[in-house]
Amino acid sequence: MKARAIILCVAFMLIAGLGAGCSKKRVESNTATPAVEQRMEDQQEKERLRQEEQAKLVRERELQEQALEEERLAVEAAREFEDVVVKLGNIIHFDFDSFEIKPEYRPLLQTKAELLKQYSNVTIVIEGYCDERGTEEYNLALGERRARAAYEFLILLGVAPERLSIVSFGEENPIDLAHNETAWEMNRRAQFRLTY
Amino acid sequence: MSKRIYSCLHSVKVILVAAIISLMFATGNVRAADTLTVDIFGPGQRKVNIILLPPQTLPEGKYKGAKDSDLPLPSEAGAFSEDIRKNLTFLPFLNSVPVGDILGGDPARGVKPGDVDLKPLRLSKVDLVLTTGWEIMPNGEKNLSIRVIGTFNGRTILGKRYSNVTEELLPLIADRYSSHLMMILTGRAGFFDSSIAFVRKNGKNKEIFTVSPQGRNLRQVSSLGGINLSPNWAPDGMKLVFTRLGTRQHLLCIWDKSTGKIDQKAFAGNTVIGPTFLPDGNLAATLTLNGDSDIFLINGSFKPKRALAKSWAIEVSPDFDKTASKMVFTSGRFGNPHIFMLDMASGQVDRVTRKGKYNTNPTISPDGRYVAFSRQTPLGHRIFVHDMNSGGERQLTFGPGNDEDPAFGPDGYFLAFSSSRTGEYKIYLTTRHGDAAMQVPTGVGIATAPAWGKATKS
Repeated sequence: MKARAIILCVAFMLIAGLGAGCSKKRVESNTATPAVEQRMEDQQEKERLRQEEQAKLVRERELQEQALEEERLAVEAAREFEDVVVKLGNIIHFDFDSFEIKPEYRPLLQTKAELLKQYSNVTIVIEGYCDERGTEEYNLALGERRARAAYEFLILLGVAPERLSIVSFGEENPIDLAHNETAWEMNRRAQFRLTY
Repeated sequence: MSKRIYSCLHSVKVILVAAIISLMFATGNVRAADTLTVDIFGPGQRKVNIILLPPQTLPEGKYKGAKDSDLPLPSEAGAFSEDIRKNLTFLPFLNSVPVGDILGGDPARGVKPGDVDLKPLRLSKVDLVLTTGWEIMPNGEKNLSIRVIGTFNGRTILGKRYSNVTEELLPLIADRYSSHLMMILTGRAGFFDSSIAFVRKNGKNKEIFTVSPQGRNLRQVSSLGGINLSPNWAPDGMKLVFTRLGTRQHLLCIWDKSTGKIDQKAFAGNTVIGPTFLPDGNLAATLTLNGDSDIFLINGSFKPKRALAKSWAIEVSPDFDKTASKMVFTSGRFGNPHIFMLDMASGQVDRVTRKGKYNTNPTISPDGRYVAFSRQTPLGHRIFVHDMNSGGERQLTFGPGNDEDPAFGPDGYFLAFSSSRTGEYKIYLTTRHGDAAMQVPTGVGIATAPAWGKATKS
């Protein structure tokens, strides 16, 4: 019986002790509430900021991507235009003492005419050149004839005459400075210079 | 009887008159033969032997009375002898004989005809003797007398005295005297009073320069940059016209010697090739006003007036005689470039060249008789001359390389041209007889497109 009483007592004490422990805890919990709220608020704020940050980043990335895309497009356009410039700028060659457009250069001039129609901001100076074998003054006239042959060809293909002009340099400014048939062939030419 | 005597007397009279007349003619002939002349326009030309005797100091002025003693020569004497010797080497009809070739050496005691022993000179076939005498005045002033004496009669052909001579004046005196001498010997002057305009390359640029035919007074006329071509003189030597190749068009440029300014003018069609002055101050040049390269007459205010040469083909390089009654030019109207001549009054055009496949750069002598041009041969371009009277043609230059751009001198005797015979284009002189080419000193760089005009005192 005594033992039972002891066990009960101990149990009671334990319960009491537990009860006391619990009540104490509750008191403590009651005093800590504002700090927790603060922390929660902070956490929420942080979360909001993080989200905002992320959105910003996404937006930035999007913008960046857009810029990159634009840049890429611009580069592409520039490259395309450069290709056009090259196509418009390249040279046609002539036979000795001749200003006749050779058949192999006709497709090239046709491409030029198409491109000129496409890019209406471009005007062209057609320069005529000769090899060194003739004499200066006759060569100046011959260079003019060569440039004019190309000019008339482009006009026939529908390019507005006011977008084209002619100048002859005769035997000046050779591409190839050597004195042989290869060099002479290179230097007998009409050259297209773009002016925007 | 009296009748017979009368007729006898009459015949004597006739004989006498005839004798007098023939005597008069004879003296006339002697007079005519008094001066030695060189026909530089005949079919051939003879060479005249000339000797330049060493300069002497005259026993006058400071050295008055100091006869036969050693009189010191002024420092200028050597330089002047060199100047005159160089000048005379430009006259191909003169052959200079060295003093060492004369038996007994220098045959002169003085500078006057009586002071020169002509016998050893005649023996060495010398025709002309040139003596120079320096007279030093007590105040240090120097006077120079130059004589050319003919050995066949011992007379002075040309004697000149120049006072107050200074070192800077020496080339000028040498040129003046040489000009007088050429006038007396050939009846033509102009060589020593002329100026050659030409194009000189400097890096990538080509600019216009002028120089005397002996290489004196080298001067840069244009500093425009870029390519400047085809200079030509106004008849009075006060202006130069040339073409400038701009990046978009050719410009007609006129340099005014009196102001040093250059006027630039563009034309419709963007082309200006080979501009030339006419004696009246108008210009002729190739323009492409309506698509064809035709030669136009352009007035003083740069207005194209009318076409002088017009065809479907290339018409370039006009050149006029002294009175602008004839114009020569290059035309491709029959296919290959050939030389043609336009009669300015009638408008008639005659073809000058029939041989060769590429004849360009015509130049007409001031009297209109000769047309020189460059013809492409298998060995390169060569200068030919065409006699408009006989139709005969003659090759004047023989390369190597290319000989181009002939230009008649104001005397119609000399021709300037450009040649690549040394590997680099330079200016050379020859005559219409094709005498050995002499290079004109033009300084460093490629020199082309000579144009010969009158020099004016600047």
